[in-house]
Amino acid sequence: MPPFDPDSMDSVRGRDWRLSLLFVAMAIVLLALPAGVQEGIGAGLRSTVLRPFIAVQEAVTNTRIRARELAELQDQLDAAVALLASQRTLADENARLRGLLELRERTGPGFVSASVIRSGTRGSQSMFLLDVGSRDGVAVNDPVVAAGGLLGLVREVGAGSAVAIDWTHPDFEVSAMTVDGEAFGMVSPRAGDFREEDRLLLAGIPYYTSLDEGVEVVTSGRGSIYPRGILVGIVADLARTDAGWGRAYWLRPAVRPAEVDHVLVITGERGTPAADLLEYWVELPDTLAADTVPGADAMPGVDTLPVADTVLPPDSVVADTAGGGR
Amino acid sequence: MNQRTLYRTILVALPVLHFLLHVGFGLDRAAPDLLTVGILLLAREVRMGPAAAIGFGLGLLEDAFSIRAFGANALSCTILGIFGSRSRDLFVGETFVFLVSYLFLGTWVRGLLHWLIIGPELRPDGLVTLLVHGPVDAGYAALVGIGLLLATGAWRSEPSA
Repeated sequence: MPPFDPDSMDSVRGRDWRLSLLFVAMAIVLLALPAGVQEGIGAGLRSTVLRPFIAVQEAVTNTRIRARELAELQDQLDAAVALLASQRTLADENARLRGLLELRERTGPGFVSASVIRSGTRGSQSMFLLDVGSRDGVAVNDPVVAAGGLLGLVREVGAGSAVAIDWTHPDFEVSAMTVDGEAFGMVSPRAGDFREEDRLLLAGIPYYTSLDEGVEVVTSGRGSIYPRGILVGIVADLARTDAGWGRAYWLRPAVRPAEVDHVLVITGERGTPAADLLEYWVELPDTLAADTVPGADAMPGVDTLPVADTVLPPDSVVADTAGGGR
Repeated sequence: MNQRTLYRTILVALPVLHFLLHVGFGLDRAAPDLLTVGILLLAREVRMGPAAAIGFGLGLLEDAFSIRAFGANALSCTILGIFGSRSRDLFVGETFVFLVSYLFLGTWVRGLLHWLIIGPELRPDGLVTLLVHGPVDAGYAALVGIGLLLATGAWRSEPSA
Protein backbone atom coordinates (compact mmCIF):
# COMPACT_ATOMS: atom_id res chain seq x y z
CA MET A 1 0.00 0.00 0.00
CA PRO A 2 1.45 3.42 -0.96
CA PRO A 3 2.15 5.75 1.94
CA PHE A 4 -0.45 8.45 2.70
CA ASP A 5 0.60 11.72 1.11
CA PRO A 6 -1.24 14.75 2.52
CA ASP A 7 0.16 17.07 -0.20
CA SER A 8 -1.24 14.83 -2.94
CA MET A 9 -4.65 14.73 -1.23
CA ASP A 10 -4.67 18.53 -0.96
CA SER A 11 -3.84 18.78 -4.64
CA VAL A 12 -6.71 16.45 -5.62
CA ARG A 13 -9.09 18.32 -3.34
CA GLY A 14 -8.03 21.67 -4.83
CA ARG A 15 -8.53 20.35 -8.35
CA ASP A 16 -12.00 19.09 -7.40
CA TRP A 17 -12.99 22.46 -6.01
CA ARG A 18 -11.76 24.27 -9.14
CA LEU A 19 -13.61 21.81 -11.38
CA SER A 20 -16.80 22.16 -9.34
CA LEU A 21 -16.66 25.94 -9.43
CA LEU A 22 -16.02 25.81 -13.16
CA PHE A 23 -19.25 23.86 -13.73
CA VAL A 24 -21.20 26.16 -11.42
CA ALA A 25 -19.87 29.12 -13.41
CA MET A 26 -20.79 27.42 -16.68
CA ALA A 27 -24.34 26.85 -15.43
CA ILE A 28 -24.63 30.51 -14.42
CA VAL A 29 -23.37 31.54 -17.86
CA LEU A 30 -26.07 29.30 -19.40
CA LEU A 31 -28.71 31.24 -17.51
CA ALA A 32 -27.35 34.54 -18.78
CA LEU A 33 -26.93 33.55 -22.43
CA PRO A 34 -29.05 35.33 -25.06
CA ALA A 35 -32.33 33.53 -25.83
CA GLY A 36 -31.17 32.66 -29.35
CA VAL A 37 -28.08 30.86 -28.11
CA GLN A 38 -30.10 29.03 -25.43
CA GLU A 39 -32.58 27.92 -28.06
CA GLY A 40 -29.73 26.70 -30.26
CA ILE A 41 -28.26 24.60 -27.46
CA GLY A 42 -31.67 23.19 -26.56
CA ALA A 43 -32.48 22.37 -30.18
CA GLY A 44 -29.09 20.69 -30.59
CA LEU A 45 -29.67 18.45 -27.59
CA ARG A 46 -33.21 17.59 -28.64
CA SER A 47 -32.11 16.59 -32.11
CA THR A 48 -29.21 14.41 -30.90
CA VAL A 49 -29.00 12.93 -27.39
CA LEU A 50 -32.70 13.31 -26.61
CA ARG A 51 -33.98 12.40 -30.08
CA PRO A 52 -34.69 8.72 -29.19
CA PHE A 53 -36.92 9.75 -26.27
CA ILE A 54 -38.83 12.23 -28.43
CA ALA A 55 -39.24 9.56 -31.11
CA VAL A 56 -40.74 7.24 -28.50
CA GLN A 57 -43.33 9.85 -27.54
CA GLU A 58 -44.14 10.56 -31.18
CA ALA A 59 -44.79 6.87 -31.70
CA VAL A 60 -46.83 6.55 -28.49
CA THR A 61 -48.91 9.66 -29.27
CA ASN A 62 -49.57 8.63 -32.86
CA THR A 63 -50.59 5.14 -31.81
CA ARG A 64 -52.94 6.52 -29.17
CA ILE A 65 -54.52 8.97 -31.60
CA ARG A 66 -54.91 6.35 -34.31
CA ALA A 67 -56.48 3.85 -31.96
CA ARG A 68 -58.96 6.38 -30.64
CA GLU A 69 -59.93 8.04 -33.86
CA LEU A 70 -59.97 5.22 -36.37
CA ALA A 71 -63.71 4.62 -36.26
CA GLU A 72 -64.42 8.33 -35.99
CA LEU A 73 -62.23 9.09 -39.00
CA GLN A 74 -63.97 6.45 -41.07
CA ASP A 75 -67.32 8.12 -40.37
CA GLN A 76 -65.91 11.54 -41.17
CA LEU A 77 -64.39 10.26 -44.39
CA ASP A 78 -67.71 8.83 -45.52
CA ALA A 79 -69.46 12.11 -44.70
CA ALA A 80 -66.76 14.16 -46.44
CA VAL A 81 -66.95 12.07 -49.61
CA ALA A 82 -70.72 12.51 -49.72
CA LEU A 83 -70.41 16.27 -49.12
CA LEU A 84 -67.70 16.63 -51.76
CA ALA A 85 -69.78 14.83 -54.33
CA SER A 86 -72.79 17.03 -53.66
CA GLN A 87 -70.84 20.30 -53.71
CA ARG A 88 -68.64 19.74 -56.72
CA THR A 89 -71.05 21.64 -58.96
CA LEU A 90 -71.07 24.60 -56.56
CA ALA A 91 -67.26 24.74 -56.50
CA ASP A 92 -67.06 24.63 -60.30
CA GLU A 93 -69.63 27.37 -60.56
CA ASN A 94 -67.77 29.45 -57.98
CA ALA A 95 -64.50 29.13 -59.88
CA ARG A 96 -66.21 30.08 -63.16
CA LEU A 97 -67.79 33.16 -61.57
CA ARG A 98 -64.46 34.22 -60.07
CA GLY A 99 -62.96 34.02 -63.51
CA LEU A 100 -65.75 36.12 -64.99
CA LEU A 101 -65.38 38.77 -62.28
CA GLU A 102 -61.55 38.63 -62.47
CA LEU A 103 -61.30 38.02 -58.73
CA ARG A 104 -58.32 36.31 -57.23
CA GLU A 105 -58.57 32.93 -55.56
CA ARG A 106 -59.52 33.04 -51.92
CA THR A 107 -56.41 33.06 -49.79
CA GLY A 108 -57.65 31.29 -46.74
CA PRO A 109 -55.55 30.04 -43.88
CA GLY A 110 -53.25 27.07 -44.28
CA PHE A 111 -53.58 24.50 -41.55
CA VAL A 112 -50.88 22.00 -40.76
CA SER A 113 -51.89 19.18 -38.44
CA ALA A 114 -49.42 18.14 -35.75
CA SER A 115 -49.07 15.90 -32.75
CA VAL A 116 -48.30 17.47 -29.38
CA ILE A 117 -45.31 16.12 -27.48
CA ARG A 118 -44.89 17.14 -23.85
CA SER A 119 -41.62 16.45 -22.06
CA GLY A 120 -42.99 16.38 -18.52
CA THR A 121 -39.62 17.45 -17.13
CA ARG A 122 -39.02 20.13 -14.51
CA GLY A 123 -39.30 23.62 -15.98
CA SER A 124 -41.00 22.45 -19.16
CA GLN A 125 -44.46 23.60 -18.09
CA SER A 126 -46.25 25.80 -20.62
CA MET A 127 -44.25 24.48 -23.57
CA PHE A 128 -44.65 21.56 -25.92
CA LEU A 129 -43.05 20.11 -29.00
CA LEU A 130 -44.72 19.67 -32.39
CA ASP A 131 -43.78 17.02 -34.92
CA VAL A 132 -43.88 19.52 -37.80
CA GLY A 133 -41.35 22.17 -38.76
CA SER A 134 -40.15 24.51 -41.49
CA ARG A 135 -40.35 21.63 -44.01
CA ASP A 136 -44.11 21.67 -43.48
CA GLY A 137 -44.37 25.45 -43.81
CA VAL A 138 -44.42 26.18 -40.08
CA ALA A 139 -42.76 29.42 -38.98
CA VAL A 140 -42.03 31.23 -35.73
CA ASN A 141 -45.14 32.95 -34.28
CA ASP A 142 -47.62 30.74 -36.14
CA PRO A 143 -50.74 30.30 -33.98
CA VAL A 144 -51.52 26.81 -32.67
CA VAL A 145 -55.18 25.88 -32.34
CA ALA A 146 -57.11 22.86 -31.16
CA ALA A 147 -60.68 21.81 -31.77
CA GLY A 148 -61.80 23.98 -28.84
CA GLY A 149 -59.96 27.16 -29.84
CA LEU A 150 -56.63 28.91 -29.32
CA LEU A 151 -53.88 26.91 -27.61
CA GLY A 152 -50.71 28.99 -28.11
CA LEU A 153 -48.07 29.87 -30.65
CA VAL A 154 -44.85 28.53 -32.14
CA ARG A 155 -41.65 29.83 -30.55
CA GLU A 156 -38.84 27.90 -32.26
CA VAL A 157 -38.81 26.03 -35.54
CA GLY A 158 -36.51 23.30 -36.75
CA ALA A 159 -36.65 21.43 -40.04
CA GLY A 160 -38.97 18.71 -38.82
CA SER A 161 -40.04 19.85 -35.36
CA ALA A 162 -41.06 22.98 -33.51
CA VAL A 163 -41.30 24.26 -29.95
CA ALA A 164 -44.48 26.07 -28.95
CA ILE A 165 -45.86 27.72 -25.83
CA ASP A 166 -49.43 27.38 -24.63
CA TRP A 167 -51.58 30.14 -23.14
CA THR A 168 -50.32 29.47 -19.59
CA HIS A 169 -46.87 30.83 -20.49
CA PRO A 170 -46.13 34.26 -18.96
CA ASP A 171 -45.17 35.62 -22.40
CA PHE A 172 -48.54 34.76 -23.90
CA GLU A 173 -50.76 37.74 -24.73
CA VAL A 174 -53.42 38.21 -27.38
CA SER A 175 -55.70 41.02 -28.49
CA ALA A 176 -59.27 39.81 -28.20
CA MET A 177 -62.84 40.93 -28.64
CA THR A 178 -66.33 39.72 -27.94
CA VAL A 179 -67.99 37.93 -30.82
CA ASP A 180 -70.28 40.89 -31.54
CA GLY A 181 -67.26 43.20 -31.73
CA GLU A 182 -68.60 45.48 -28.98
CA ALA A 183 -65.64 45.18 -26.61
CA PHE A 184 -61.93 44.82 -27.22
CA GLY A 185 -59.21 43.99 -24.69
CA MET A 186 -55.99 42.12 -24.03
CA VAL A 187 -56.01 38.53 -22.79
CA SER A 188 -53.12 37.21 -20.72
CA PRO A 189 -52.65 34.25 -18.36
CA ARG A 190 -52.80 34.30 -14.57
CA ALA A 191 -51.23 31.39 -12.72
CA GLY A 192 -53.28 29.60 -10.09
CA ASP A 193 -51.94 27.83 -7.03
CA PHE A 194 -52.16 24.59 -8.99
CA ARG A 195 -51.70 24.19 -12.73
CA GLU A 196 -55.35 23.24 -13.12
CA GLU A 197 -56.30 26.65 -11.72
CA ASP A 198 -54.49 28.68 -14.39
CA ARG A 199 -56.91 31.15 -15.94
CA LEU A 200 -57.08 33.85 -18.56
CA LEU A 201 -57.74 37.49 -17.78
CA LEU A 202 -59.43 39.80 -20.29
CA ALA A 203 -58.31 43.32 -19.35
CA GLY A 204 -58.85 46.77 -20.83
CA ILE A 205 -62.61 46.53 -21.27
CA PRO A 206 -64.20 50.00 -21.03
CA TYR A 207 -65.80 50.67 -17.64
CA TYR A 208 -69.28 51.23 -19.05
CA THR A 209 -69.20 48.02 -21.11
CA SER A 210 -70.51 45.16 -19.06
CA LEU A 211 -70.00 41.59 -20.26
CA ASP A 212 -72.38 38.81 -19.31
CA GLU A 213 -71.23 35.42 -18.18
CA GLY A 214 -70.98 33.01 -21.09
CA VAL A 215 -70.03 35.58 -23.75
CA GLU A 216 -67.51 34.10 -26.19
CA VAL A 217 -64.23 35.96 -26.62
CA VAL A 218 -62.24 35.57 -29.83
CA THR A 219 -58.99 36.91 -31.24
CA SER A 220 -59.48 40.39 -32.73
CA GLY A 221 -56.92 40.11 -35.52
CA ARG A 222 -55.06 43.17 -34.26
CA GLY A 223 -51.31 42.79 -34.18
CA SER A 224 -49.27 40.60 -36.44
CA ILE A 225 -49.70 37.11 -35.06
CA TYR A 226 -53.24 35.86 -34.52
CA PRO A 227 -55.88 36.01 -37.25
CA ARG A 228 -59.32 37.24 -36.28
CA GLY A 229 -61.93 34.87 -34.95
CA ILE A 230 -60.15 32.13 -32.99
CA LEU A 231 -62.04 31.28 -29.81
CA VAL A 232 -59.93 32.22 -26.77
CA GLY A 233 -62.34 31.64 -23.92
CA ILE A 234 -65.71 32.34 -22.38
CA VAL A 235 -66.42 35.11 -19.87
CA ALA A 236 -66.71 33.60 -16.38
CA ASP A 237 -67.00 36.55 -14.01
CA LEU A 238 -65.79 40.05 -13.22
CA ALA A 239 -62.20 40.09 -11.95
CA ARG A 240 -61.82 43.76 -11.06
CA THR A 241 -62.74 47.32 -11.95
CA ASP A 242 -59.94 49.82 -12.44
CA ALA A 243 -60.77 53.13 -10.75
CA GLY A 244 -63.80 53.87 -12.85
CA TRP A 245 -62.18 53.60 -16.27
CA GLY A 246 -61.88 49.91 -17.05
CA ARG A 247 -62.90 46.41 -16.19
CA ALA A 248 -61.20 43.03 -16.31
CA TYR A 249 -62.95 39.68 -16.62
CA TRP A 250 -61.89 36.13 -15.88
CA LEU A 251 -62.23 33.82 -18.87
CA ARG A 252 -62.80 30.09 -18.92
CA PRO A 253 -60.14 29.00 -21.43
CA ALA A 254 -61.43 27.44 -24.62
CA VAL A 255 -58.68 24.82 -24.48
CA ARG A 256 -57.11 22.99 -21.55
CA PRO A 257 -53.47 22.44 -22.61
CA ALA A 258 -53.06 19.18 -20.70
CA GLU A 259 -55.94 17.58 -22.59
CA VAL A 260 -54.63 18.31 -26.08
CA ASP A 261 -52.64 15.77 -28.07
CA HIS A 262 -53.46 16.84 -31.61
CA VAL A 263 -53.42 20.42 -32.94
CA LEU A 264 -53.46 22.54 -36.07
CA VAL A 265 -50.80 25.14 -36.83
CA ILE A 266 -52.15 28.09 -38.80
CA THR A 267 -49.50 28.86 -41.36
CA GLY A 268 -51.30 31.32 -43.62
CA GLU A 269 -51.10 30.76 -47.34
CA ARG A 270 -48.68 32.17 -49.87
CA GLY A 271 -47.50 34.77 -47.39
CA THR A 272 -50.88 36.39 -46.93
CA PRO A 273 -52.64 36.79 -43.60
CA ALA A 274 -55.12 34.16 -42.60
CA ALA A 275 -58.63 35.48 -43.07
CA ASP A 276 -61.42 35.70 -40.53
CA LEU A 277 -61.76 32.35 -38.80
CA LEU A 278 -64.84 33.17 -36.78
CA GLU A 279 -67.03 30.58 -38.44
CA TYR A 280 -64.66 27.76 -37.51
CA TRP A 281 -65.26 28.14 -33.78
CA VAL A 282 -68.29 30.27 -33.13
CA GLU A 283 -71.88 29.81 -34.21
CA LEU A 284 -72.70 33.23 -35.58
CA PRO A 285 -76.05 34.90 -35.01
CA ASP A 286 -78.04 35.14 -38.24
CA THR A 287 -77.53 38.89 -38.46
CA LEU A 288 -73.74 38.60 -38.27
CA ALA A 289 -73.65 35.74 -40.75
CA ALA A 290 -75.71 37.75 -43.20
CA ASP A 291 -73.41 40.77 -42.72
CA THR A 292 -70.33 38.68 -43.35
CA VAL A 293 -71.68 36.98 -46.41
CA PRO A 294 -74.14 39.21 -48.24
CA GLY A 295 -76.90 37.23 -49.77
CA ALA A 296 -76.16 34.11 -47.79
CA ASP A 297 -79.62 34.05 -46.25
CA ALA A 298 -81.17 34.27 -49.67
CA MET A 299 -79.62 31.02 -50.83
CA PRO A 300 -81.95 28.12 -50.36
CA GLY A 301 -80.64 25.26 -48.26
CA VAL A 302 -77.47 27.09 -47.16
CA ASP A 303 -77.39 28.41 -43.58
CA THR A 304 -73.80 29.56 -43.50
CA LEU A 305 -71.55 29.54 -46.51
CA PRO A 306 -68.28 27.65 -46.21
CA VAL A 307 -65.34 30.04 -46.01
CA ALA A 308 -63.75 28.70 -49.17
CA ASP A 309 -66.79 29.59 -51.20
CA THR A 310 -67.27 33.19 -50.13
CA VAL A 311 -66.55 35.95 -52.60
CA LEU A 312 -63.69 38.13 -51.44
CA PRO A 313 -62.97 41.76 -52.28
CA PRO A 314 -60.50 42.48 -55.07
CA ASP A 315 -56.75 42.33 -54.51
CA SER A 316 -56.38 46.00 -53.66
CA VAL A 317 -58.68 45.69 -50.65
CA VAL A 318 -57.02 42.49 -49.54
CA ALA A 319 -53.66 44.21 -49.75
CA ASP A 320 -54.91 47.07 -47.57
CA THR A 321 -56.16 44.77 -44.86
CA ALA A 322 -52.96 42.75 -45.02
CA GLY A 323 -51.17 45.63 -43.31
CA GLY A 324 -52.57 44.57 -39.97
CA GLY A 325 -51.89 40.92 -40.55
CA ARG A 326 -48.93 38.66 -40.90
CA MET B 1 -21.63 -9.02 -12.74
CA ASN B 2 -20.51 -8.16 -9.23
CA GLN B 3 -22.66 -6.08 -6.95
CA ARG B 4 -20.66 -2.90 -7.32
CA THR B 5 -20.86 -3.01 -11.13
CA LEU B 6 -24.56 -3.79 -10.95
CA TYR B 7 -25.09 -0.88 -8.58
CA ARG B 8 -23.31 1.55 -10.90
CA THR B 9 -25.17 0.21 -13.93
CA ILE B 10 -28.47 0.88 -12.17
CA LEU B 11 -27.33 4.38 -11.30
CA VAL B 12 -26.49 5.11 -14.94
CA ALA B 13 -29.82 3.59 -16.03
CA LEU B 14 -31.83 5.87 -13.71
CA PRO B 15 -31.48 9.05 -15.83
CA VAL B 16 -32.24 7.05 -18.98
CA LEU B 17 -35.37 5.69 -17.31
CA HIS B 18 -36.25 9.22 -16.19
CA PHE B 19 -36.20 10.60 -19.73
CA LEU B 20 -38.01 7.54 -21.07
CA LEU B 21 -40.86 7.99 -18.58
CA HIS B 22 -41.07 11.78 -18.73
CA VAL B 23 -40.22 12.51 -22.36
CA GLY B 24 -40.91 9.16 -24.04
CA PHE B 25 -44.21 8.44 -22.33
CA GLY B 26 -45.02 12.03 -21.34
CA LEU B 27 -45.95 11.03 -17.78
CA ASP B 28 -45.13 14.40 -16.21
CA ARG B 29 -45.49 14.23 -12.40
CA ALA B 30 -47.01 10.77 -12.54
CA ALA B 31 -43.45 9.48 -13.00
CA PRO B 32 -40.90 10.01 -10.21
CA ASP B 33 -37.89 12.31 -10.56
CA LEU B 34 -35.36 9.55 -11.20
CA LEU B 35 -32.90 12.05 -12.66
CA THR B 36 -32.39 13.59 -9.23
CA VAL B 37 -32.21 10.15 -7.62
CA GLY B 38 -29.56 9.17 -10.18
CA ILE B 39 -27.50 12.33 -9.56
CA LEU B 40 -27.72 11.93 -5.78
CA LEU B 41 -26.58 8.30 -5.84
CA LEU B 42 -23.94 8.79 -8.55
CA ALA B 43 -22.53 11.77 -6.64
CA ARG B 44 -21.71 9.48 -3.70
CA GLU B 45 -19.72 7.21 -6.02
CA VAL B 46 -17.34 9.83 -7.39
CA ARG B 47 -15.29 12.82 -6.26
CA MET B 48 -16.69 16.33 -6.11
CA GLY B 49 -15.44 17.54 -9.52
CA PRO B 50 -16.88 14.66 -11.54
CA ALA B 51 -20.08 14.83 -9.47
CA ALA B 52 -20.47 18.49 -10.50
CA ALA B 53 -19.86 17.51 -14.13
CA ILE B 54 -22.51 14.76 -13.97
CA GLY B 55 -25.01 17.16 -12.43
CA PHE B 56 -24.27 19.82 -15.03
CA GLY B 57 -24.61 17.41 -17.95
CA LEU B 58 -27.86 15.79 -16.80
CA GLY B 59 -29.36 19.13 -15.76
CA LEU B 60 -28.52 20.56 -19.18
CA LEU B 61 -30.38 17.69 -20.83
CA GLU B 62 -33.47 18.56 -18.83
CA ASP B 63 -33.03 22.22 -19.72
CA ALA B 64 -33.39 21.29 -23.39
CA PHE B 65 -37.15 21.15 -22.70
CA SER B 66 -37.27 24.38 -20.76
CA ILE B 67 -37.73 27.71 -22.48
CA ARG B 68 -38.81 29.48 -19.32
CA ALA B 69 -35.48 29.42 -17.49
CA PHE B 70 -32.79 27.73 -19.53
CA GLY B 71 -29.87 26.80 -17.28
CA ALA B 72 -31.88 26.55 -14.06
CA ASN B 73 -31.83 22.75 -14.10
CA ALA B 74 -28.12 22.69 -14.98
CA LEU B 75 -27.26 24.97 -12.05
CA SER B 76 -29.48 23.21 -9.52
CA CYS B 77 -28.20 19.75 -10.54
CA THR B 78 -24.56 20.92 -10.45
CA ILE B 79 -25.00 22.20 -6.91
CA LEU B 80 -26.82 19.00 -5.99
CA GLY B 81 -23.95 16.90 -7.37
CA ILE B 82 -21.43 18.86 -5.32
CA PHE B 83 -23.41 18.50 -2.10
CA GLY B 84 -24.12 14.84 -2.83
CA SER B 85 -20.43 14.13 -3.18
CA ARG B 86 -19.56 16.14 -0.08
CA SER B 87 -22.17 14.18 1.90
CA ARG B 88 -19.78 11.21 1.89
CA ASP B 89 -17.51 13.12 4.26
CA LEU B 90 -20.38 13.62 6.68
CA PHE B 91 -22.34 10.36 6.43
CA VAL B 92 -20.62 7.01 6.01
CA GLY B 93 -22.65 3.91 5.27
CA GLU B 94 -25.76 3.34 3.19
CA THR B 95 -28.36 2.28 5.71
CA PHE B 96 -31.99 2.16 4.63
CA VAL B 97 -33.00 5.07 6.81
CA PHE B 98 -30.07 7.19 5.65
CA LEU B 99 -30.73 6.54 1.94
CA VAL B 100 -34.44 7.29 2.19
CA SER B 101 -33.72 10.51 4.09
CA TYR B 102 -30.90 11.45 1.70
CA LEU B 103 -33.00 10.92 -1.42
CA PHE B 104 -36.04 12.64 0.08
CA LEU B 105 -34.10 15.66 1.27
CA GLY B 106 -31.98 15.82 -1.91
CA THR B 107 -35.01 15.78 -4.21
CA TRP B 108 -36.78 18.39 -2.14
CA VAL B 109 -33.68 20.62 -2.06
CA ARG B 110 -33.36 20.29 -5.83
CA GLY B 111 -36.93 21.56 -6.18
CA LEU B 112 -36.12 24.42 -3.83
CA LEU B 113 -32.97 25.36 -5.77
CA HIS B 114 -34.84 25.31 -9.08
CA TRP B 115 -37.62 27.42 -7.59
CA LEU B 116 -35.10 29.97 -6.34
CA ILE B 117 -33.08 30.09 -9.55
CA ILE B 118 -35.91 30.58 -12.07
CA GLY B 119 -36.60 34.07 -10.76
CA PRO B 120 -39.67 35.84 -9.39
CA GLU B 121 -41.41 36.33 -12.76
CA LEU B 122 -41.65 32.62 -13.50
CA ARG B 123 -41.77 31.36 -9.92
CA PRO B 124 -44.98 29.52 -9.05
CA ASP B 125 -46.58 29.89 -5.64
CA GLY B 126 -43.97 28.90 -3.05
CA LEU B 127 -46.36 27.42 -0.53
CA VAL B 128 -47.80 24.93 -2.98
CA THR B 129 -44.55 24.21 -4.83
CA LEU B 130 -42.34 23.73 -1.80
CA LEU B 131 -44.72 22.48 0.87
CA VAL B 132 -47.25 20.49 -1.17
CA HIS B 133 -45.70 19.35 -4.45
CA GLY B 134 -42.14 19.27 -3.06
CA PRO B 135 -42.55 16.70 -0.27
CA VAL B 136 -44.91 14.54 -2.34
CA ASP B 137 -42.51 14.44 -5.29
CA ALA B 138 -39.51 13.89 -3.00
CA GLY B 139 -41.17 11.03 -1.14
CA TYR B 140 -42.28 9.44 -4.39
CA ALA B 141 -38.79 9.67 -5.91
CA ALA B 142 -37.09 8.34 -2.77
CA LEU B 143 -39.41 5.34 -2.48
CA VAL B 144 -39.19 4.42 -6.16
CA GLY B 145 -35.40 4.86 -6.12
CA ILE B 146 -34.97 2.61 -3.09
CA GLY B 147 -37.49 0.16 -4.50
CA LEU B 148 -35.53 -0.11 -7.74
CA LEU B 149 -32.29 -0.79 -5.87
CA LEU B 150 -33.97 -3.47 -3.78
CA ALA B 151 -35.81 -5.06 -6.69
CA THR B 152 -32.72 -5.32 -8.88
CA GLY B 153 -30.55 -6.65 -6.07
CA ALA B 154 -28.19 -3.69 -6.40
CA TRP B 155 -28.74 -2.67 -2.77
CA ARG B 156 -25.62 -2.51 -0.67
CA SER B 157 -24.94 -1.19 2.77
CA GLU B 158 -21.27 -0.19 2.37
CA PRO B 159 -20.07 2.92 0.51
CA SER B 160 -17.57 2.59 -2.32
CA ALA B 161 -13.87 3.18 -1.65
